[in-house]
Amino acid sequence: MERQSPLFRLFLHAAALLLAAIILTPLLWLFVMSISPAADLAAKPLRWWPATMDFSRYATLLSSVENSAGAAFMASLRNSLMVAGMATVAAVALAVPAGWAVSRTPSVGWSLSVVIATYMLPPVALAVPLYMALAKFGLLNSVFGLALVYLTILAPFTTWLMKSGFDGIPREIEQAAVIDGASLWQTLRIITLPLAMPVVATSALFAFLLGWDEFFYALLFTSDQRAKTLTVAIADLAGGRVSDYGLIATAGVLAALPPVLVGLVMQRALISGLTSGGVKG
Amino acid sequence: MSALVVDTIRKSFGDVETLKGIDISLESGEFLVLLGASGCGKSTLLNIIAGLAEPTGGDIRLNGRSLIGVHPKDRDIAMVFQSYALYPNLTVRRNIGFGLEMRKVPAAEREKAVLEAARLLQIEPLLDRRPSQLSGGQRQRVAIGRALVRNPQLFLFDEPLSNLDAKLRMEMRTELKRLHQMMKTTVVYVTHDQIEAMTLATRIAVMRNGQIEQLGTPEEIYNRPATLYVATFVGAPPMNLLDVTATAEGLLIAGSDRVIPLPPPLLAAVPHGKTLKLGIRPECFRAESSGGLPLTLRCEVVELTGPELILSGNVGGQRLVATLSPRTRAVAGSDVTLALDTEALHLFDAETGKRIDLRAD
Amino acid sequence: MSGTWLTTRAWLLMLPLLIVMVAVIGWPLADTVQLSFTDAKLVGTSGSYVGFDNYVRLVSGNAFGRTLFTTTFFAVVVVTVEMLFGVLAALLLNQRFHGRTLLRALLILPWALPTVVNATLWRLIYNPEYGALNAALTQIGILDNYRSWLGEPGTALTALIVADCWKNFPLVAMIALAALQAVPRDVIAASYVDGASAFSRFRFVTLPYLAGPLMVALVLRTIEAFKVFDIIWVMTRGGPANSTRTMSILVYQEAFSFQRAGSGASLALIVTLIITVLAVAYGTVVKKVAGSAA
Ligand SMILES: Nc1ncnc2c1ncn2[C@@H]1O[C@H](COP(=O)(O)OP(=O)(O)OP(=O)(O)O)[C@@H](O)[C@H]1O
Ligand SMILES: [Mg+2]
Repeated sequence: MERQSPLFRLFLHAAALLLAAIILTPLLWLFVMSISPAADLAAKPLRWWPATMDFSRYATLLSSVENSAGAAFMASLRNSLMVAGMATVAAVALAVPAGWAVSRTPSVGWSLSVVIATYMLPPVALAVPLYMALAKFGLLNSVFGLALVYLTILAPFTTWLMKSGFDGIPREIEQAAVIDGASLWQTLRIITLPLAMPVVATSALFAFLLGWDEFFYALLFTSDQRAKTLTVAIADLAGGRVSDYGLIATAGVLAALPPVLVGLVMQRALISGLTSGGVKG
Repeated sequence: MSALVVDTIRKSFGDVETLKGIDISLESGEFLVLLGASGCGKSTLLNIIAGLAEPTGGDIRLNGRSLIGVHPKDRDIAMVFQSYALYPNLTVRRNIGFGLEMRKVPAAEREKAVLEAARLLQIEPLLDRRPSQLSGGQRQRVAIGRALVRNPQLFLFDEPLSNLDAKLRMEMRTELKRLHQMMKTTVVYVTHDQIEAMTLATRIAVMRNGQIEQLGTPEEIYNRPATLYVATFVGAPPMNLLDVTATAEGLLIAGSDRVIPLPPPLLAAVPHGKTLKLGIRPECFRAESSGGLPLTLRCEVVELTGPELILSGNVGGQRLVATLSPRTRAVAGSDVTLALDTEALHLFDAETGKRIDLRAD
Repeated sequence: MSGTWLTTRAWLLMLPLLIVMVAVIGWPLADTVQLSFTDAKLVGTSGSYVGFDNYVRLVSGNAFGRTLFTTTFFAVVVVTVEMLFGVLAALLLNQRFHGRTLLRALLILPWALPTVVNATLWRLIYNPEYGALNAALTQIGILDNYRSWLGEPGTALTALIVADCWKNFPLVAMIALAALQAVPRDVIAASYVDGASAFSRFRFVTLPYLAGPLMVALVLRTIEAFKVFDIIWVMTRGGPANSTRTMSILVYQEAFSFQRAGSGASLALIVTLIITVLAVAYGTVVKKVAGSAA
């Protein structure tokens, strides 16, 4: 490969520093806000780094004292976990058989295309009937109702990922198992699913991140601590009432922590999932 | 009674007819090689026999029992795939024993069978590894072991050696031949490697475009190719083909005034006046000027490979290759006269490609 | 193992997914279509049939045109900036320099940050009284007085666009980087041997590998930008003076703030139609690009 000239190397490193600054500055600031005393955040000129680091807000939010900000936050955290978790489990359970079927029987593939095309639908196009239906079945403001609605987003996506995953497992392996006398269920259980486990895990992670991130339906279909998710709770905080911006930042850091950690640890799997979908389209 | 009967099997994918009526009948213990270029339908036929695909028409019978509609696992057939199709997540031991496991063979009996197969294939030390920890040749042995252990009525192989390097391929070829001679199970084996076909087969079916061009023993395929296609497909370097016309003296080579003299009784069987294709295998030439039929050609390139000398030249502008003994003396740019036997001449109808028999029998 | 049985089996395995999809997407969509021809309220009356009244009224009203323009403007700017920035970042990250691995890892952070947290973060940064942007700009001396970035119609949309681009350019960068790494090394080597300039190497060697994935990223990002709701809702709720109101916000207001379910439904369908037309148009282009690149 060509040798880099000193000037070009300098340029590369400068550009890399700039990119790193662009990515990191807002994130760092979020963290700094979360540990700055309220007075520092309201100071003019603004203090960019707190004189004393104040982690008390983390304790506040993670406490479960009745009727405190912490109780509300913890409730929303639990709701987010439950909704995203349930929706993920359901989505993967639907996606595995469907993804396998499409991968092995291309003649039914068009139905998956239709399912995936629903990605184009803006959630607002489904919101009104969903609202009315949830109201009718008493599922408004319920984690179950919300998890069900999340399937509109999670299920097509996971099925798509599972299908590309199964495409990567040679058919011959399953044919060999069939000739060896395995039933469909045995073939899937002993051979295919263990091989597909990494894809299942990636799909589940993606689904969970999508569910964790969801805001629109949660905003519409939940109203109090019984079902409000983290995203809605944070939007509520940001939308007023709270005067301590540090507390909002802290909630943001806590909500961001799980996906960011997952993102960093699972980077390779996530990117290959993103691009396998992206490239094969 | 024939062990395996393939009876006018047809297969279409949509509008495309991939198999156009295949007929084969095999005696028990035969080793049939399906030989043909890529895409001619070999794998399709094999999959139909295995039950992985359903034919559009026709019948398959194994020891008298029709297999149409029979589930693959109930056909008593084992198959070795080109990609080996080992189960990557299972140990070699479990890979080999999987068929028995699925058939609910007791563990002790299964273990015995697996060990026996592993011993035959010399892969005993590998039993606790996973396929990813094996070399290509070892994977191949495991794949064969998986088929072997079931002791089926019929073995199917789909290009089992094509992923191996040349040396391993030769070893495994010999190994397969040894196994077959020992087990005497009927085999259908797909390849597009003619050496494999010639060495392994008791019979070869040369396929082309979903049809069988010729079904016969390796000797028949080599010595009496039924069509131009078979003639050029089998043999390396490939058979020389010359445009000729039959005259009163013999075969006149187009583009020249050379005539290969033929005895009148043989000449009688040949249609006169028509353009014919004359096939001569390179290895049938002899570097003598006396005895047999003489053929003089202009020598262009001489290559000594070691065991033999390859001479390329032309007669009347038509290319010709001869493989000769390394002691032959030939000079590029000069004329050489080589000798042929009448048995070495293969005549084909230029239009239909069908063989025209020279012998009276 | 006949063909029909295999197909039947495949349908059986797809059935649970299809049932759920019909229940949570198909049926609500059909219901939306039906609602769009009524004057139904969100709660209470189921409304009566009004034909195309909703559509006519909405499209001829002035909110629609303005909102469509805002949405289109947002989508075009956001997608353009993200694609440009994403490709540049990917080209940079495909070079050799110290800390490359770390920087590649950092790229995933904005993408992983939940949309609502991102919106909240930028809302805090733009805060008119205590925000970091005001503080930084005045301390450097660019700005004399603190400004209400999100409170003034002139700056609100731009502020939103910056926030959205910051979160989403890494996705484009990751897709582009993966595509760049898929360019075979010997092809690049061959182009060096052939003496290709840096530009022609990019144009004739790299770009063909990049084109397909980038087109897919473009389609995905355009559709998402057209559907945008979360970030705007959290940062401005469509204000001030409706200067950041996009189609999804307008539908929300119509259907849920004003409780006009029928007309909200018509509006939602118009948005759906626009996105579908866009996607189909793009799809045709993608096929072409993918075809010519392959
Ligand atoms: N599922 C299928 N759908 C449509 N066409 C198919 C299908 N399977 C095979 N074909 C077509 O049938 C023809 C024969 O394929 P087959 O795999 O039997 O060839 P082959 O002789 O085994 O070739 P190779 O030596 O390359 O393995 C090919 O032209 C192929 O495109
Ligand atoms: Mg084949």
